[in-house]
Amino acid sequence: MIGVIDACFIIDWSRYRHRDLIKGLFDILYIHEEILAQLRSEISISFTSRLLAEGKLRLYPWTQSDEDEFLLLRSEIIANPRIPSLERPDLLCLIIARRANAILLSENIGIHRVIEFHPRYRNVKVWTALETLEHLVYRGLITLSSEEEFMRFVREYEQDTNHIFRKRRIETCLKRLRTWLRR
Amino acid sequence: MSQEIEDLVKKITPCKELLRKWILEDEEAREIRRRYANWEFIKNQPPKVRLALTYLIESGDLYKAAKIADLTIDELNELRIKAKIPNIT
Repeated sequence: MIGVIDACFIIDWSRYRHRDLIKGLFDILYIHEEILAQLRSEISISFTSRLLAEGKLRLYPWTQSDEDEFLLLRSEIIANPRIPSLERPDLLCLIIARRANAILLSENIGIHRVIEFHPRYRNVKVWTALETLEHLVYRGLITLSSEEEFMRFVREYEQDTNHIFRKRRIETCLKRLRTWLRR
Repeated sequence: MSQEIEDLVKKITPCKELLRKWILEDEEAREIRRRYANWEFIKNQPPKVRLALTYLIESGDLYKAAKIADLTIDELNELRIKAKIPNIT
């Protein structure tokens, strides 16, 4: 499985006490050099450079064709005032995920909204840390026997990163996990 | 804007229900950020940072807040955590 990491995701995930678990979930993780340029804190630089050194994280080879798609996507989104504005680095990650048929790891609400309505991007899978934790369970990288155990991982993430997952999203996630635990 | 782009924009406009859902989500998230924020910490920051953190509470947009503070999003995120402004998804 291939993943693409955006800045909002990596800066928070780097702070998570179980951050190394992500290495087992993806064969390759891509990052754009403009995302790397956003990293300044020791904790995120240290985690990211370790992933790069281990070969798990790779710089995405951005092409002219990707740039053309960026210009088109930006025009489509910026020209419409009803669509939440998105910055260049956000859009680059979305384009990479579509091109590489990869999972986009993003906490950016704007990105999650684009895939809710944009015809070309509707099929791109975007995970927040919550879905990432959920898939760590499915992959056997987090072993648990109850929903409560899963919630411990979720609460730890929330504490480490000062994050709040919406109740509705947690309930939907737990519903899927319940089915999986009963299998 | 070229006709081709104008046509594309028309095709990708989100529907009204989606827009309504987003407005409700934004309002809910804004309320949570306002409630959890450490306003004392925010008030004691230099003007650019103070404005950036206030903008972040109102919008949830880390990128624009970072631009206001003239910081990268990683640097702004460190201040977000110190200011106890939750990231909500």
